[in-house]
Parts: sequence; structure tokens; C-alpha cells
Amino acid sequence: MSSTTDARPARRLAVTGALTAALTALAVYGVFFVAPEDADQGIIQKIFYFHVAIAIASLVAFGVACIAGIAYLRTRQVRFDEVSSASVAIGLGMSVLVVITGSIWAKASWGTWWVWTDPRLVTFLIVLLLYAAYFVLRSSAEGERRYRYAAIYSVAAFASVPLSFYSVRVARSFVHPVVFTQSGANMPNSMLIWFVVSQVAVLGIFLTVLQLELLQRRADSALRRVKARLEAAA
Amino acid sequence: MKRFGERRAVDRVDVCLDEGECLAVLGPNGAGKSTLLRMLATLLRPDAGELSVCGRRLPDEAVRARALIGYLGHDPMVYLDLTARQNLELYADLYGVPDARERVDDALDRVGLLARSFDLVRTFSRGMAQRLGLARVLLHEPRLLLLDEPYAGLDAAGAHLLDAVLADASRARGVVIVTHEVERGVALAGRLLVLRAGRAVLSEPTGPIDGAAFRTRYEELVA
Amino acid sequence: MVLFAILAMLIFQFAFGSRLGDLTPFAGGILWATLALTAVLGVGRSWVPEREQRVLDGILTAPVPRLVLLVSKAGAIYAYLLAVEIVAVPLLTLFFVRGQAPVDVALVAVVCLLANVGIAILGSLLACLALFARARELLLPVLFLPSMLPVVIAAAGATHAVLGGTNDLAEYRGYCLFLAVYAVIFGLVAYATYDHVFDD
Repeated sequence: MSSTTDARPARRLAVTGALTAALTALAVYGVFFVAPEDADQGIIQKIFYFHVAIAIASLVAFGVACIAGIAYLRTRQVRFDEVSSASVAIGLGMSVLVVITGSIWAKASWGTWWVWTDPRLVTFLIVLLLYAAYFVLRSSAEGERRYRYAAIYSVAAFASVPLSFYSVRVARSFVHPVVFTQSGANMPNSMLIWFVVSQVAVLGIFLTVLQLELLQRRADSALRRVKARLEAAA
Repeated sequence: MKRFGERRAVDRVDVCLDEGECLAVLGPNGAGKSTLLRMLATLLRPDAGELSVCGRRLPDEAVRARALIGYLGHDPMVYLDLTARQNLELYADLYGVPDARERVDDALDRVGLLARSFDLVRTFSRGMAQRLGLARVLLHEPRLLLLDEPYAGLDAAGAHLLDAVLADASRARGVVIVTHEVERGVALAGRLLVLRAGRAVLSEPTGPIDGAAFRTRYEELVA
Repeated sequence: MVLFAILAMLIFQFAFGSRLGDLTPFAGGILWATLALTAVLGVGRSWVPEREQRVLDGILTAPVPRLVLLVSKAGAIYAYLLAVEIVAVPLLTLFFVRGQAPVDVALVAVVCLLANVGIAILGSLLACLALFARARELLLPVLFLPSMLPVVIAAAGATHAVLGGTNDLAEYRGYCLFLAVYAVIFGLVAYATYDHVFDD
């Protein structure tokens, strides 16, 4: 039963956690104190750094969930399901943040709390529903079926993400054939560097929370195993 | 080994059956008999251990194995909205049975349903539907018959039929029959497997075992 | 099922029509909103005989590859949708569209044929996931509709491009291409996962 006394995962978590904390502190400092202010939008524009970083991180999370799902289907090892479901949970949480930060930004930029014209915002609303369904599916099945169905759905849902994004964007582009410049892929370097830093920091947050979650689940199931064994022996 | 959640439904059961042999699987409710049978029928995948049926390793060669297996469970597995004939023709199609027309007629005749062959199964009694199920399972001449409490839904005519089918050793088919009727199992089978809480507590040839005498031994085993 | 589609279209008319008069710009949207909901019903019904008449085990123990099973169910859903569309599209033009040429309806037919593929594949796969659930009438729409949204967006857009009064063929082609891509991608997803759906 080395998994209960194996200190390696906990140590890995400590390392990731420390690195992430440092990076996050750096990113917050850099974004709010060093990066130049946007001429038009002022301080609210700073939210943009994290908004996009979290959006990309959540997509990474869903990608990880998809890959872990495929791995589960191939090997039927429950640890892949653990990774998959934890990643979806984190991705979903991040998606909520994307929608919230996007809404704040919409209020700052256009005066209303919600707009249908931002393809990213709309896509993440769809993504929220897509992955909320993941948990509904999980609760509807039991045992091995739960892991298997969840894995299949994690693949289908991840395929839906780019399809949703492109359908919304294509629809917008026909109605408003103007290319959006709110993100500005051509950012000055002074902004770009802090963008990258915050992106890495948020990815670090994802990894840290994932490890934390996995560690906790393994402890949980180890505890349950011991309990079952004690009850059987009694 | 097959696990459902934390519970091991079937654990460390070693079974080996030769052609033409009949194995009776006995045991109390919840012992894992149906689960074992479903694993053999390729409906369930084992979580650990090896499984091969008619020389085909599962789960890799499942499709080929299925062609050689006939599985009859508690339900006859026929469409209520189709006629008896249509059901058998469908299954003949699924199993790639040659000369389907004749074989379907033959099967319907054997189970005594030829007269009702154009009637919807919805109009059948439980016994008749189960007889149709029996026809279905024999239609493709399987090399291995897997029967789960087959006598449960059968009427008297059907029971006679099944007896005849099982006694027909000339077909050289293997049979695994799950039943809770201890005496009948002992009478029919050449080998016995008794399960209790997922484990095998007895696995041996029947030999000249007396049904009644075995009964007491069985009660002890599953107590 | 056809009746349901007609009723759904009437709901749209009474929800919006009394205030707006000419619903032509919304015809595309109304059609695909109706079809999306009808599709949920159709997909939900696709396994009913096997489940309620307990034939599923019989089919699963037959030497039929799982892929064939899924494709045949997808085919059934496709046929079902087509049957509804044959009635719904003409009715749509009758109720909601002012001044259209017959060729427009042919273009809409193409949209239907394309969109149905994606819906059928998706529906066939997801129906299996909801097969054994207790609240399957609730689960299936929740699973099915979010993934269906791109189809609704694109199909409604394509239909609107033809029927909505603008007649923009470049737009139409763009949306149709998207529908084809959608079908291909979900075809791949289904192909990658079909073997595991029934593999208990």
C-alpha cells in the first residue's frame, strides 16, 4: 500500500504550488504596476490579461480531460478518470470566471453587463452548459459506467468547443464584417510580456489545483479501502 | 473477476468446459451466477483475469465469439411489435444464417409456434414468448448455449422442449445453465459449479451424484 | 412528431408574430429551433423498442459490430428528421416567408440534408449514454442541446441567407461548409468511441 505513504505527490504539489504562487504574485504586480495603461479603457483593460489567460487555461483543462478520457477508455484505469473529472471541474470553474470577467469588461467597454457580439464570451457560455452537462451525466450513471460515459462525453464535448467558437464567430462575421481589435494580437512588447507571464501563472494555478484535487481524492479512496477492509474483517 | 463499484461480483472463478459438456451453475441469489453468464455472453467485460469462449479470446475477438454463442436470459429478447416470424428472420439476418426461410420455419415448428408465426409477439403468453426465445437462441446452431434460469418463463410444453434440446447430445454443443433448482441442475449437467458471494465453492464433475444427497451438501456449502 | 413540429412553429408565431407582423427575417431561426426540439424527441425515441421490450441483450450478443449498430440508429434518426422536414419546410415558407422562389426551397433542402448528418451522428452516440439513466427524458436534452448549438447557429444562418430576403449565397456556402465539417468531426468522435459505449 505504498500509495498512502508515498510522499512524492505531496512533494510535487509543494513545488508546483510554490512556483505558481511566485508567478502569480509576479503577474499581478506586473499587470497592475508595470504594464502601461491602455489609452482608451484605462485600468479595466487590465482584466483582459487574466480574462484571456483563464480562458486559454480552461481550454487546456478541457483538453487534458479529453486526453485523460481517451486514456481511460484504452486502459480502463480509474486514475485517468480521476484526472479527467478533476480537469473538467477546474475548467468549468475557470469558465465561470471567464464569463464573469468578460461581463465586467463588457460593462466597461460597452456599458451593458452582457453582449452577444463577443464570440469569446458567447462561446464560453456554451462551454459552461456543455460541461455542466458532464456532471449531470456523471450523476446519472454508477460505477464503471460512470467513468466510461464521462470519458466518451469528455471527448465529444471537447470537439464541440472549437465548433461552437467557429459557428459563433462565423455568424458574427456575416452580420458585422468588421474584424474585432479588442484583443489586439499586435500588442506592444511591454504588454505582451506581462500577458505571457500571467498566462503561465494561470496555467500553474490549473496544475496546482489539479494536483491538489487528485491528492485529496486518492487519500479519500485509500481511506475508504481501509475502512472496507476493517469492516470485512470484523 | 468482475467488479461493480467496490463489490466483487465474481472473483477468482476458474471454469473450464469441453465441447459437448453441460455445466450447471448453482448458488443462492446474488452469488454472481448471472454476472458470470453475462461475461461469457460478451455482455460484460471482466475487470481482471482471462476469458475465452469457443477458443476466442475476449474482449478482443468478441464479434467472432458472438456468432458461436446463444444466450437466453430471463427475457425472450424478441420485439413485441413484430410477428414471431419477423423476429426470427431478423435474428437469422443478424447471425448470417444460411437458408433463412427454411431454418425459421423449422425453428418455429420445433417450438410449436408455426401456427402463430404471423401473429404479433405482443399477443403471445409468457410461455409462448419464452418458447420463441428458445427458437431464437437455437436458430444459428450455436456451439455454446448460455441459459439463465431458462425454465423460469417456460410453460409445460416449453419445458419438455428444453429437456429434449439439452438431452440432444448429438449436437456436440457446450451448455452452461444457471439455475436455482438444485436437483434439476444435478440431473442435467456433467459438471457442477457452485457459487457463493462471487466465489466458487465447488467445482467438480457430477458423476453418479444423487440429487437428494447432494441437496444437503449444497445447503451446507451456501449457508 | 410532425404534429409537434407544427405546434412548435405555432408557438413561435404566437410568441413573436403578433407584435412583429412580418417574420420573414426569423424564418430560418424558427425552422431550426423547431427542428432542434423535434430532434431531441426523435433521438429520445430511438432506443425505445430495445429498451422497453428488453431486446437489447439479444442485439448485443449477436455478431453485429457495434459500429453497425450506431450507424443504423443514426440512419433511423436521419430518416425521422427528413420525414419531419418534408412537412415542416413547406409549412414554414407558407406561414412565415413572403416572396420566395422555388429554388430557395431546394437550397433549404440541402441545408437539411447536411445538418441532419451531424444531428444523427451526435444523437445516436448521446442516446446510448442516456439509455440506462433513470431520468433519461431530462438527461438527453441536457446532453444533446449544448452540442447541437453550432448546428442550430449554422443551419439557421444558412436558411436565413436563402429565405430571409437577402439571398446571400456566399454566406449560404459558408454555413453549409461548416455543417459538413461538423458532420465529419462528430463522425470521427463517434468512430473513436463507438466500441466503448456498450462495453460494460
